[in-house]
Amino acid sequence: MYNSLSSRRSFIKKMAKLSAMTAAATMFPGILFASEQEAGIPDSANLDWKKGPCRFCGVGCGILVGVDQGKAVAVKGDPNCSVNKGLLCVKGYHQIMCTQAKDRLTHALVKKNGRYVQTPINEALDIVANKMKETIEKHGKDSVAMYTSGQSTIPEGYVASKLMKGAIGTNNLDCNARLCMASAVAGFLTTFGADEPMGCYEDIDHADYFITWGNNMAEMHPVLFSRMLEQKNRRGAKIIDFATRTTRSSTASNKSILFEPQTDLAVANAICYEIINNGWVNKSFVENHVNFSKGLTNMGYGVEDKYNFKDKPTKIDFEAYKKFLEDYTPEKVAKYSKVSVKDIKYLAAIYGDPNKKVVSYWCMGMNQHTRGTWMNNLVYNIHLLTGKISQPGNGPFSLTGQPSACGTAREVGTFTHKLPKGVVTNEKHRRLAAKIWKVPYERIPAKPTYHATEMFRAVDRGDIKFIWTQVTNPLVSLPKTSRYRPGMEKDSCFVVVSDVFPTPTSDVADVILPASWHIEKSGLYGNSERRTQHWDKMVEGPGETTPDAWMTIEIAKRMGYGDLFPYSEENHVEEIYNEYRQFHEGAKHGMAPLEVLKKESGAIWPYVDGKSTQWRFNAKYDPACSNDKDFHFYGKPDGKAVIWQRPYEPAAESPDTEYPFWLNTGRVIEHWHTGSMTRRIPVLHKAMPEAYVEFHPDDAKKLGVRNGEKIKVSSRRGSCVLPASINERGLPTRGQVFVPFFDENMLINDVTLDAFCPISKEPDYKKCAVKVEKA
Amino acid sequence: MPIKSYLAHPQEGKKEDLIKALSELKECEVMPATNEDVLVVVTDTLDDASEDILKEKIEKIDSLKLLAMVSGFNSPQN
Amino acid sequence: MKKRLGIISLFVILFIAFITIWNYSYQIGLEEAYIPIENNSNVYAIPSESGVFKRSEHAMDYENMPVDKNHQRSLTTYYKNRAYHGAPPSIPHAVDEQQNMGGQSCLKCHENGGFTEKFQAYAPVTPHPELVSCKQCHVEQNTQTLFKSGNYAHVAAPEVGVNNALLGSPPMIPHQIQLRENCLSCHAGPSAPKEIRVSHPERVNCRQCHVPSTKEMTEVGTFKRAGNEE
Repeated sequence: MYNSLSSRRSFIKKMAKLSAMTAAATMFPGILFASEQEAGIPDSANLDWKKGPCRFCGVGCGILVGVDQGKAVAVKGDPNCSVNKGLLCVKGYHQIMCTQAKDRLTHALVKKNGRYVQTPINEALDIVANKMKETIEKHGKDSVAMYTSGQSTIPEGYVASKLMKGAIGTNNLDCNARLCMASAVAGFLTTFGADEPMGCYEDIDHADYFITWGNNMAEMHPVLFSRMLEQKNRRGAKIIDFATRTTRSSTASNKSILFEPQTDLAVANAICYEIINNGWVNKSFVENHVNFSKGLTNMGYGVEDKYNFKDKPTKIDFEAYKKFLEDYTPEKVAKYSKVSVKDIKYLAAIYGDPNKKVVSYWCMGMNQHTRGTWMNNLVYNIHLLTGKISQPGNGPFSLTGQPSACGTAREVGTFTHKLPKGVVTNEKHRRLAAKIWKVPYERIPAKPTYHATEMFRAVDRGDIKFIWTQVTNPLVSLPKTSRYRPGMEKDSCFVVVSDVFPTPTSDVADVILPASWHIEKSGLYGNSERRTQHWDKMVEGPGETTPDAWMTIEIAKRMGYGDLFPYSEENHVEEIYNEYRQFHEGAKHGMAPLEVLKKESGAIWPYVDGKSTQWRFNAKYDPACSNDKDFHFYGKPDGKAVIWQRPYEPAAESPDTEYPFWLNTGRVIEHWHTGSMTRRIPVLHKAMPEAYVEFHPDDAKKLGVRNGEKIKVSSRRGSCVLPASINERGLPTRGQVFVPFFDENMLINDVTLDAFCPISKEPDYKKCAVKVEKA
Repeated sequence: MPIKSYLAHPQEGKKEDLIKALSELKECEVMPATNEDVLVVVTDTLDDASEDILKEKIEKIDSLKLLAMVSGFNSPQN
Repeated sequence: MKKRLGIISLFVILFIAFITIWNYSYQIGLEEAYIPIENNSNVYAIPSESGVFKRSEHAMDYENMPVDKNHQRSLTTYYKNRAYHGAPPSIPHAVDEQQNMGGQSCLKCHENGGFTEKFQAYAPVTPHPELVSCKQCHVEQNTQTLFKSGNYAHVAAPEVGVNNALLGSPPMIPHQIQLRENCLSCHAGPSAPKEIRVSHPERVNCRQCHVPSTKEMTEVGTFKRAGNEE
């Protein structure tokens, strides 16, 4: 930051200050000088700056919202927040502008004779509660469902779970985090027996290498990427981008390595082969802390309705694992992965060097994968073999896309198989939930029902007759919307949509409930590094907009469960959080008390004796370690993590002569997910007004496609027309096209395939076969 | 005209006291770290003699545990 | 009489037939000559990513550089040197080596900049050093007179301080960035015009916070849902 310096003297003074700050940073990595940050921000007007987390991605930046006479007018990064240290991205800086959109949903709308009629909120809630009750009476508990979100606040997720599982007694609750995080969860559970990353963002300040697996962080996790760039420029840390598409992140990296879609499985195994073959295994770590297992293979892809799969783990030994890896020599893998032998060995050498600290980052590339759980396991294998885990600057780190994918979806557990602590299949966990919820234990069913994709298949089949979606837009975000849109339009299912703006999902609703936006309510989020963040209501919402948690509570009361939901309207967030905290008591998952969260910019759980635990499973940092060794993977009964033998298997659908291209879908920096918020922010819409289909220039030349020309992308499921983009935002590999999915006017998910990972049930949005032609 | 920068470590729990004490010296510029117990101090004095006096003054502060110099400049011309 | 009437009516029929056929073929001819004009005018171009991180290796140097107030450029002098904003600037000094390409001459000073004693100024840094045929676009100004004067249109140049949407939010990029994708070359260092010199050159991922505004090209309106005109 250079201020205008009037003399040589003040320049020297600045240099002196800088060198002291640099020295401090070497002694205390992650050190913050908030006063220095604040100096650069103009102190404008008489704004009241209120603290909270950003509304958008899972990075969980701290924001300060400037409020003037009851209106939010400005946003800046919170210099006191260790996540972003005062910096935001373009979405974060402009987030409050969406609330002023003209088509904001301000009142409840009820469909009567094909038209939406504005209805007082109390009446609309009556209609919803009556319909839900009536459906249960007529068709049973499992005919109603709720589909929530990784953007739901912790209290919102908690009351949804309590209503469905505790009060009504059905496991028909799932959430959109199934579409983005499920493979990461399944990966953590199979390898460590405990969900969520062991490290934290401070790893960035210590690592020598950042290896990003199919992850365009410059656009999707820009603030973390900036922290990496800072380390690259200041300390010479190196970024290696391993991906199927050349992106802004690749440009900024020290090295970009491209691979053929789906072959990441083979490359990860080849890295392990090299590590073992070169004797780079951390023997004492592996002996003390690791078991070896294999599971079932040829699992299928879940494209058929009611598909079911259960893995059967078998213990193996190191020799068997070593033998298995012989199929994955760099020479063999290079042939089909299109990654050179040299590059595979280069990656292996980075992981294998005991003197280099390495963090692996990934997000949707590895999770939205028909072998997503396997892929997560494989990256853990690399870190476990080399013992590079749970230490500052060393570790695998799965990033999240939604602000509370961790806090709500994973920790509160708004999945069909989950409870706030543990899973429905475990009797002990059901008993604990029943005790805290004060419901009879028999009421919580022991069998999971529908995961997200299957839930909407059940709607289409007519098995689910009532569905309530909150804080999510499935008719843009589900795969194969060409099936699920007509499914939701059917009269057999009553659809309730709670949202802030009209979306393609609210278009098919029978009742639309107007929700409060982020800063118009109080709440708590949990970000990717296990940080719980609280904010207080900052401004009033328009019309009859109501917080989602309160609407759920009102429905519960109307259905006769009032005694289970004794919360007050003014204070329900606090009351619910205090009840929820009981689930996680103890050293392994203790949550910070609300007073701490109100004061600080979030705290990392396990929060023990007034302290955040930054590196779990490492006895030096984690008070829950109890085996008297340096590491303790206490998620597993014997305290050991698992290295999984997982082979390469092809994608669910690969290009052929009729459909010769891979279709990859994803995001852009300007828009967040389905765009219902960001497209209503003029700055962002103007910068990126519509979706496009990206070609490799060679493919474009072969097809005679010009930039901007309308192209029809079609698969066996459906088609979508978009303008072509050649060598602009990104560059897919030859034989691949890329389309961002934010544009509800160009629904690429009509084209995608609803194949999913059999273990995690997370769909693969990154791989299906399409053909392209001029429209 | 020496300019020097230091890292000042406060006694346990005495960070606020140290900030206050140092801020009272007009030759000192203090920048406390937000999340660690350490302060950056830049001193700007007229000559070596006053520099020595200042250093003595700083070292007498009770809440100071350790003062470590990081860099020093001397610019006689201006 | 009957015979004459017959001949006349035959000619009339032939004449009408001729008119009809002639008209028809004329119409056909017209249609063939009509080439549909593709309505491509509202194509929105996403700015290229090339050069986004170019020069970012110098960012730390830029950050630590003191500002030389006596020799800095201003936006006025910056605009003065080009026909309209976005036009290639002309060469404001004499050039000795008339036959050299960029690599041997212009780039010596303009690739990385630096203070030039002779001009008492910092050499501006080119955002596209890979294009070495400099004088393809940049020419000298060897005379101050005109061959014939004319009414040259005036294009309003973007201003500073008016490009942010919210109080204190990062300003949008108010100009096109074709051939100028590399922000730091013009917005950082001692040669940057003082009004547009960035206060935080070490944040090299510029487009994390600053996105282009489309005002200059096809103005994009606010978001409209398809089939939901209101």
